[in-house]
Amino acid sequence: MTASDRPGQAQPVPTRDIPKQPWGRIALGMVATLLLGVTALEVNARRIGLHAGDIDNSEVEWVKERAHSERADVAIVGDSRILFDTNLDRFEALTGVRPVQLAIHGTSALTLLEDVADNPNFHGLLIVGLADTMFFQPFDGYGGYVRHRNDFKSPSGRIGIEIDHVLQRRLAFLDSNYRLSVLAHRLDKDFRPGVEGPLDDIWKIQEVGERRQTWMWDRIERPGPLQAHARWAWKGFKEKFPFTPQLIAKGQARAKKAVEAIRARGGEVVFVRPPSGPQLRVNEEAQVPKAKGWDVLLRNTHSAGVHFEDLPASVQGLTLPEYSHLTRKCAVVFTDAYVRRLTQLTTRLKLRADAPPPLSRADCVSAKVASL
Amino acid sequence: MIFNSLTFVVFFAIVMVLHHAPFFSWDQKKLNLMIASYLFYAAWNPPFVILLWISTVVDWWAAQWMVRAKHERTRKAWMLASVIVNLGMLGYFKYGGFLLNNFVELMGTLGVVYQPPKWDIVLPVGISFYTFATLSYTLDVYLRRSKPAKHFLDYALFVTFFPHLVAGPIMRPTELVPQFEQKPRITAHQIYFGLGLMTLGLFQKVVLADGFLAPVVEKVFDAREGVPTMLDAWTATLAFSGQIFCDFAGYSSTAIGVALCLGFAMPDNFRFPYAAVGFSDFWRRWHITLSSWLRDYLYIPLGGNRHGQARTYTALMGTMLLGGLWHGAAWTFVAWGGLHGTYLAVERWLRGRFAGWKPGPGSIVALGLLTYLLVDITWVFFRAKTFTGAATMLQSMAGFAAKPVPMIALLPMVYALAIVACIVGTHWAMRGKTLEIAVERTPAWLVSAVLGVMGLAVIAEQGKGSAFIYFQF
Repeated sequence: MTASDRPGQAQPVPTRDIPKQPWGRIALGMVATLLLGVTALEVNARRIGLHAGDIDNSEVEWVKERAHSERADVAIVGDSRILFDTNLDRFEALTGVRPVQLAIHGTSALTLLEDVADNPNFHGLLIVGLADTMFFQPFDGYGGYVRHRNDFKSPSGRIGIEIDHVLQRRLAFLDSNYRLSVLAHRLDKDFRPGVEGPLDDIWKIQEVGERRQTWMWDRIERPGPLQAHARWAWKGFKEKFPFTPQLIAKGQARAKKAVEAIRARGGEVVFVRPPSGPQLRVNEEAQVPKAKGWDVLLRNTHSAGVHFEDLPASVQGLTLPEYSHLTRKCAVVFTDAYVRRLTQLTTRLKLRADAPPPLSRADCVSAKVASL
Repeated sequence: MIFNSLTFVVFFAIVMVLHHAPFFSWDQKKLNLMIASYLFYAAWNPPFVILLWISTVVDWWAAQWMVRAKHERTRKAWMLASVIVNLGMLGYFKYGGFLLNNFVELMGTLGVVYQPPKWDIVLPVGISFYTFATLSYTLDVYLRRSKPAKHFLDYALFVTFFPHLVAGPIMRPTELVPQFEQKPRITAHQIYFGLGLMTLGLFQKVVLADGFLAPVVEKVFDAREGVPTMLDAWTATLAFSGQIFCDFAGYSSTAIGVALCLGFAMPDNFRFPYAAVGFSDFWRRWHITLSSWLRDYLYIPLGGNRHGQARTYTALMGTMLLGGLWHGAAWTFVAWGGLHGTYLAVERWLRGRFAGWKPGPGSIVALGLLTYLLVDITWVFFRAKTFTGAATMLQSMAGFAAKPVPMIALLPMVYALAIVACIVGTHWAMRGKTLEIAVERTPAWLVSAVLGVMGLAVIAEQGKGSAFIYFQF
């Protein structure tokens, strides 16, 4: 009986019967199943190329880094290109400064630029890495990180993330792209006409280390079905909506306002345009031409910028396995190149006297591949 | 803190060690539990522990002064003080913004432009639950159904006891306080069964609700553009019926399991509701502790069924409308409650009109499926954020949408519908039984295998700790 059977009365102490079962043996069986199952999951994960130490990207981690950015000399915002294509170790080796990485995959750099502009505690150098079409798009992608950041500040959430990281440093199968439901849903090969199934989305292409250092997953760097899927999922970066002059002008105005706000309190802003492959570049240029997007952005905001096309020939032709992001090694080369250029464009960043020598394409592209 | 989180795993392990350690006295163990419960709540947002404390202290003293009062009106005054403080807190934090928005709209319709200051109040998690729990303490004392707790520690632990603190089951003091007065005898089998219930609850929440049902629901209900086809609208609504059940019943199962591991019994909160035949039956099976609370402290005081037909229907509708509002500060929740009130009223009238009719097995199943179908209609209002959204969904469900588009991929749809079919089928198979009876009649190897697979599925799903739906209430 429950309270629904006893109206208008003081409810008595409930009784809970314990089913008569050999619970000790049942528990042993359950533990054995769990141990065997987890072992199988871990063995399989390592077999397919997942690694322990690949820490899932998370809102809580971003919120932590955002808090760090308030005292930082340098912070980076943007989409996944600047996220993948910046090697924080190389940045620090060159300048002595380790930037705070606030870029978020699938998110307009403009959203994040405005978030920093709204943060009165940031007075450092802000590097804005942008992909042209994503910067000027009318929605903010994963902007929920920004809008709901107060939701991810609970003590419980923070402790949970630390425990999660301890486990992820040791277990390879803990990858949210390989969750049970995700794998089950990905069996759908667009079976229903007119509906984009789970396969239409970009899937796992990155690995994430400490402090949001992100790099390309090595399985994407090698030819194979995962690389092919990633290339296909970008769909050439052809967006579904038109980039009208009004839309671009609106983005330019927002960017100008945000940059002015940061400079008014002593900060500085520079822009970086990471590389994309010619297969995407042609569509990006058709939708947001450099002359109307990037060039106007720098002019309007009176900012310095590093466009990958303007870098020396020695760092052109870096490897983009799925056309949109650099390999892990080439990200180091690109970081080396753009940081060196930034130290020439702004006094907020200086090259260390004992900085390592410059890198070139040869440091990440084998001679055999380079000759193809 | 939420049950489906790594933080809770560590927290619970520490609580279990302290609670079962032989060197603490029973009073010390209760104090440990109370401190752990405050930490459990503070892990969400530390300053809001103050609200919990206010509710605890005010109601303790209200009940104390009530029994010492010499005059009935003094007793009533203390009871009203408790009600005002608790409902005042609830009103301010939960309904303040809602009332303000409605005031602004009302002024607008009268031609008055009123721009209020921004209302940016954080809703304390679980406030609807713990204020109801503490109110039942003072109301039971006022109605002379129970006496005040003998010791403040037992009462304070009743209010804050973490398994039920933020999302129920809504316990009455007479159910829990006596359990704290004496040290319980905890057996190993009790702990194992408790852990089994926790595994079941987490499987329902992490794997079924979050992993397979929520994505389908969100695809349609949160679509930025386009109108769903009839198939998509029904799939999403059925998926939501599964999601909200698995989410909430999963929480309750976990809470009951946690309490059992600590040696305490909590009542069932769900009894296979999707096998209900009629809406009175549904509300005896769905969120039992809330429906019985509303019945005992709202419906019966409003007159119940003892003052004629008109008063009965008024009390019924009033209770259900307020029950809807309890769920959220939005008119869609009120509409949800109003629909259930209407269903209950119509059912009551039909029972009176066809009192002699005894349905056969086929009719019972048909009525049960009709009940489930009508409950699904109400879920549309519960899930849709606006009446426009709800209307769009209902239009699609009826097949009247203009230019509908398919939204759900085939396999996710198949999984969701299969899960919902299994849930409804299980409910029908279990409608006259309890889980304990079913488990007892199952071979041990099968119980072990099922629990092992459920536990493995929870680990494989790597539940990212999304909040339970009812945390927002």
